[in-house]
Formats: sequence, C-alpha cells, structure tokens
Amino acid sequence: MDRPNHLSVVVDLSPSQWYLCGQPSNAHPLPLAAFLSQLLAFLNAHIACNDENTLSVYGALPGRSALLYSSASAELSELTDPADSNTYRQFKILDSTMMKSMSEQVDALSDLEEESPIGLVGSLTKSLCYINRVTNVSTSSTTTVGSDEPTIRPDPRILIISVSPDEAASYIPVMNSIFSAQKLKVTIDVCKIYGPESVFLQQAAHLTGGSYIFLDRPDALLQYLTMTFLPPPALRQLISVPTQDKVDFRAACFCHKNIVDIGFVCSVCLSIFCQPVPVCSTCRTKFPIKTLQRLNASKPALAPARSTAPVPSPSPANSLPRSQAIGLPRTTSMGNGISASPGRNGASTR
Amino acid sequence: MPPRRIGNDYESDSEGSMFGDIDTSRTKKGKGKAVDRTKSAKAKGKAKEQPYAWEATYTRSWDTVQEDETGSLQGAVQDLIARGRRRRLLAPAAAIRRTIIRHLVLVLDLSTSMMDRDMRPTRFDLMLQYAREFVNEWFDQNPLGQIGVVGMRGGVGERIGEMSGNPQHVLKHIAERHKLEPGGDPSLQNAIEMARSSMSHLPTHSSREIVVIFGSLTTCDPGNVHDTLDECVKDKIRISIVALAAEMKICRDLCDKTGGTFGVAMNEGHFKDLLFELIPPPAQRAIARTTGTGVGNPAADLMMMGFPTRLPNTSPPSLCVCHSQLKSEGFLCPRCMAKVCDVPTDCDICGLMIVSSPHLARSYHHLFPVKPYHPVKTLEDAPHLENKCHACATAFPESPPPVTAATEGMSPLGRYRCPDCHYDFCAECDVFVHEVVHCCPGCGK
Ligand SMILES: [Zn+2]
Ligand SMILES: [Zn+2]
Ligand SMILES: [Zn+2]
Ligand SMILES: [Zn+2]
Ligand SMILES: [Zn+2]
Ligand SMILES: [Zn+2]
Repeated sequence: MDRPNHLSVVVDLSPSQWYLCGQPSNAHPLPLAAFLSQLLAFLNAHIACNDENTLSVYGALPGRSALLYSSASAELSELTDPADSNTYRQFKILDSTMMKSMSEQVDALSDLEEESPIGLVGSLTKSLCYINRVTNVSTSSTTTVGSDEPTIRPDPRILIISVSPDEAASYIPVMNSIFSAQKLKVTIDVCKIYGPESVFLQQAAHLTGGSYIFLDRPDALLQYLTMTFLPPPALRQLISVPTQDKVDFRAACFCHKNIVDIGFVCSVCLSIFCQPVPVCSTCRTKFPIKTLQRLNASKPALAPARSTAPVPSPSPANSLPRSQAIGLPRTTSMGNGISASPGRNGASTR
Repeated sequence: MPPRRIGNDYESDSEGSMFGDIDTSRTKKGKGKAVDRTKSAKAKGKAKEQPYAWEATYTRSWDTVQEDETGSLQGAVQDLIARGRRRRLLAPAAAIRRTIIRHLVLVLDLSTSMMDRDMRPTRFDLMLQYAREFVNEWFDQNPLGQIGVVGMRGGVGERIGEMSGNPQHVLKHIAERHKLEPGGDPSLQNAIEMARSSMSHLPTHSSREIVVIFGSLTTCDPGNVHDTLDECVKDKIRISIVALAAEMKICRDLCDKTGGTFGVAMNEGHFKDLLFELIPPPAQRAIARTTGTGVGNPAADLMMMGFPTRLPNTSPPSLCVCHSQLKSEGFLCPRCMAKVCDVPTDCDICGLMIVSSPHLARSYHHLFPVKPYHPVKTLEDAPHLENKCHACATAFPESPPPVTAATEGMSPLGRYRCPDCHYDFCAECDVFVHEVVHCCPGCGK
C-alpha cells in the first residue's frame, strides 16, 4: 500500500430496503445503525492506511443522490470543528461530517419521494466525475505540455454498497457508467448486503475487474469490508479475495424494462425488445413481415422452456437452474489460499 | 496539387525552416498530438491553410502550446476546452440512424512508395501506428463490427488478417512490422477484389466498407479497375480512400461512386483526422431515407439474441458443445443451457445467436446522447443555485473574471447548465459527461 489510492463509496440509503434488512425475522438482520457504525470503521481504516489516501462518499437516496463526505471538503471544515482529545482528528471529522450530511439528506426526503427508485446512477456518475477531476488535473496538463513523464495518479476505485433490487429503467445509464469507469481504469467493487442478486452490478464488477460479493452473513459486514475491499485492486492478486461465481449477462428490454435473457434486437440501432415488434421504437425502423412471422412462430416453443426449470443435463455445471443463480444467496467461491470469508464456522447453513 | 518532392528526407527539415521563417503563423498550426482534438474540429474549414508536411518545420507538440503573460498554461487549456465545446454543440442533437453492425476491410499500401519520409518517421511506420489506433477506436465505437486486413504489395493483394470481431486478433496481424515490410508496386484492383470476396457472404443488414490507405501514385492492375468499381457499387460496398501522395482520378471515382469519402493527407495530423473521421458509424445512406416512411429500410431486420451466463474458472469442469473439451469457464446458452466457449457465436445446439449484452450496450450512447449543457451567463433565474459543481463538487469561481475570457460557447462564470435538471456543472465535468459518461449526473439518465 505504498501508493495513495482514492476510494469512492456509493451507499444505498433506501429507507424501505433498510427497514426490511433490519427485520429480526431475517436470519442475520443488519439494522441501519449497526451498518453505519461498521461502515464508519471501514472508512476510518481506509484513511488510516496511508496518509495520502483520499475518500469520497455518495449517498444514493430515493430519487436523488448526494455527496456525503469528501476529503477535499473535509480540509475546509477542519478549522471549525472543536478538538477531541480522545479521537484521531481525521476520524472525528469523517464521522461527524458523514452523520450530519446523512441526517440532513434523510430529513429532506418527503413521503412522496420515499417510494421513488434510488439515485444509484446519479451517485455513480458523480463519483466518476469526481475521480475524473482528481486524476485528470495532472494528466490533462501533461498532455497539453506533451511530456511523457508518468504522473503519479492515485489509484481510483469505487465501492457500491447495495441493498435495493435492480432498477431496470436505469440499464443504459448504468452500462454507460461502467464503460466510462473502464476508460478511466476505475475498478468497481460491489458489496450486496440485502435484496436479490443484482444483474447490472454483477456486470459492473466483472467488466471493471472488481469483485462482487453477496453477503451470506450481513451482520459480519465489517469483516467482509476489511478483508475484501480494504486492499486496493493492485494487491488483490496476492491475497486471493473471493471471486465472482457467475456473471449474469442479461439485459433490460427497451419496451417494458423487463430483464430478459432472450431478446429481439434491432439490427440498425441494437435496441433490445422482449417480444417481436413491427417497428423499432428507438430508430423507427420497420421490420419485414417475414421476420416477424418467423420470430412469432418460434416464440411458443420458447415460452414453456423459459418458465419451467431447465431439464438437468449430465454435466454438473449445466444443471444449475437459473433460479438458484438469481434469487438465493449463495457462497462465493474462494480462490486458493487464505479464506477471506468470515463467519464460516458455525454458520454453514447450507 | 503542387508537385511532390522526392527524396526529401533530412533535407526537408532545413528547407522547411525557411518556409517556417516566412510563415510562422501557419506553422503554429502544424502537427502534434496536443492540437489533434482541436484540429479535427477545424479540419474541414482550415485544411487549405495548413502547410504540407514537407513544407513545415519540425514542430514539437509542446511548442504549439503558448503560455500567457504570467507563464501559466491555463489559457491554452481553456482554449482547448472551449473548442471542444463548440464542436460538440455543432453536432446534431437528435439520434441519427446508423448502421452499427459494420464489416470493414482495411487495405494497407505496402509498396515501396510507403518508405518515403515526408511523414515522420516514414509513411509506413506512421500508417501502422495510426492503423492500430484506428482499430482500437473503431471497435470501441462499433462493438459488433468486424475488421479484415489486406495488404497491397508486389502487384498483388495479400490477405494479412481474416475478418474478425476481436480487436486483439486484428491488432496482432498488424503488430509485426517486419512481416509487413514494403516492396514492389500496389494493385488497387487486386486488393479491392480480395476485400470484396471476403465480404460477399455477409448478411444484408450489415454494412460493407473498404478503407484504403494509399501512398502510391500508380496502380498495377491485371484488368480494368472500372469493372471492379461497378461490382462494388452492385454489392453496396462503400470505399473510402486516404491518399498520402496526391489525388488520382481513379481513387476519387472509387469513393464518389460507392458513397465513400476521399481525402489527401497533407501532414501527419491531417492524415490521422482523415482516417479517424471514418470511425463513427455512417448514418444510413439516403436510399433508406427516400423510401423512409413508406416501405422502411429493407436491410433492417429484427434478430433474436440470447444473453448468456458466464461461468467462472472455479466452476466444476464440463464439456463444451463447440469443441467437446473439458473446461470450467464458458457461457451458458439461455435457451438450451448448453455451454459454449466464447461469445458472440451461434449456439451449436439450438442455433440461437448468443451475444454478451455489454457488447450491445457499448453503442447505446449513440442512441441517447446527453443534451448539450448551456453556458450560464447570469446567476439569475436559477432553480438550484449551488456554489459547487453538481458532479465533482468543485467550487465555482466567486466573482466572474474580466470579460476578455468570455469566448463563444464559454460561460464567464464557468457554469454549464443541464436543460433538463437545471443543475450547474463545471467545464471539465461538462466535457467529461458528454464525451465519456454519456449520462447526466443530475437527471440520472
Ligand atoms: Zn419489453
Ligand atoms: Zn432500431
Ligand atoms: Zn469449445
Ligand atoms: Zn442453445
Ligand atoms: Zn465539475
Ligand atoms: Zn441533467
């Protein structure tokens, strides 16, 4: 951890999902308050790892997104906060700023807004813009000057802590954010605490070389965070973090925002539809009648195959029904070497 | 077109500097990476004012950036951003119909004329370098496209790389310089015939293109090249030529009759501009638009595609259906659950076309571009007045700088406002959002 690195954390703060996550009826409930204290401990650990490590935290709230904390703004507030002899100054600033801005944001929510989908895209794009600025201040000036000297850029990465299900309407913006992260060489890590497996976030982690972890034991969050997400991506090869089991490459259709595994694609603009359509709604291309008849004819054969579980085939890998990959939590496969998953002993429920 | 000098390797430097003394203002616009971006914006209009490569002094890219009185580069950087903004605002706002499934054959001239040094280090080395950058950028913008490579050497066409949809494969073919060592005469007809034959089997909904980089002034053909031209018109193959030497009638005809573009590169930067102008998917040709509302585009089709699940290399090994090999990683066909090694492909069991959906999604930003932000002129009538950029949280300048800084398309306050969500963004985020993210952080769409 010689080089300083930048971490942007996107925290999903959906009130309804956190309420469900904290229900005592869950096998391993994680209430919001416990989550926050574990998260703050992790953030403190990050800034303690290296003096020059930077941090920014974004809250994805229903219908909006907000910057909760950034290292740059912390320097300003440093002057105003009274000192506390029992706490490391940086930690105190981080904790108090986080809590303050978070309660401000949550208080500002109206009842109406609470139902709207969370602003994951907004916070993701904001963190990309932030990273673009921190890393590009140096690079943009060097390209104009034309020298090839390598600039020391902080290793940027994004950690998404998610509790909400996929918002199919945001498929295209999420994908666009993933591609820009690829261009900026930003790793996206995903920590899924609650809710169904996220197709989009799986793809995000896969395409940017990050890790996607679905927590078996949400109450052991801090353990997962420190073992998997604290080391920067450069060190991950050495310490064998849990890898992704499967990547679900499904996409959302443009017409109903359903997530589909077999789609009908316009050859002109590549829009995806869940059923054969006569006219492409994106580019207004009309499709030949013959194609429609052919595709409609092949559909009935298709429908039962999708609703029932697939016939188990002799090969073990093929026999995993999709439902198992989607709905149920499962153990993340481990690389060789050190086990980084906590709570294994005594928690082997399956 | 002035006559070309032959054998002007090092001589051109000293000679060029004479020209440079006479006309310094022109050489300022010379070549160099730093000005590439701005140049593509001005390329069309200003092309005639630019010096020919052999007339110019050797300009280093860092010479083209000027410091202001205080020795800061701020002004130069601002200027670059401003020009980028202006170029973008000129672009049409509506989504245009493009052919995204493209097939392209890149024809490289490997004749002796490519050893000329009027472009540094040589035409050949520069062509290889730009060809690699071209391939990378092309696949970025045309995710489902395929590129083949054909060389013209010793009077014949030479197949250098088969049609492939994998950028790494294509790059491998043009990576080894020693295998492509120039020699002999080029033959346009042979090369184009070869390119045409490699595209003859393609489905009707894909576009077929040939891009020729041509450094010679002769072509050594076995038959009548105009017959080849007619065949290409019939097959709807679009030919574009970037010439490095001078304009030839046959080159111009090939491009004009097939609907391609023809350009003569005057210097290194202009060469790159001409080549890179061929990267964005071409808007659907006029044929489709004339029949437009009535019949629709006959080439368009609806395709059924499956989006697979990828298995990691830690999963239990099983046989793949394509090679019958025992391996762990692979992709599961969503319809029949068979395991295939690589995508995109057609499932060997049920025949479904299996593609990775991120491949498709890579091109969606063409379809839903972010609306251009408007430069904010005054602080009045703002719905959300924040003192920080909504995206990167950088503070805006407190007081507007003196009026001199106000350029066309630039906000004196450094604020650019989204027409939909009305949040303000800084200039850097504005450029980043429109060129990279393609998604407004305020609207989230
Ligand atoms: Zn649909
Ligand atoms: Zn379409
Ligand atoms: Zn195989
Ligand atoms: Zn199949
Ligand atoms: Zn900004
Ligand atoms: Zn907006």
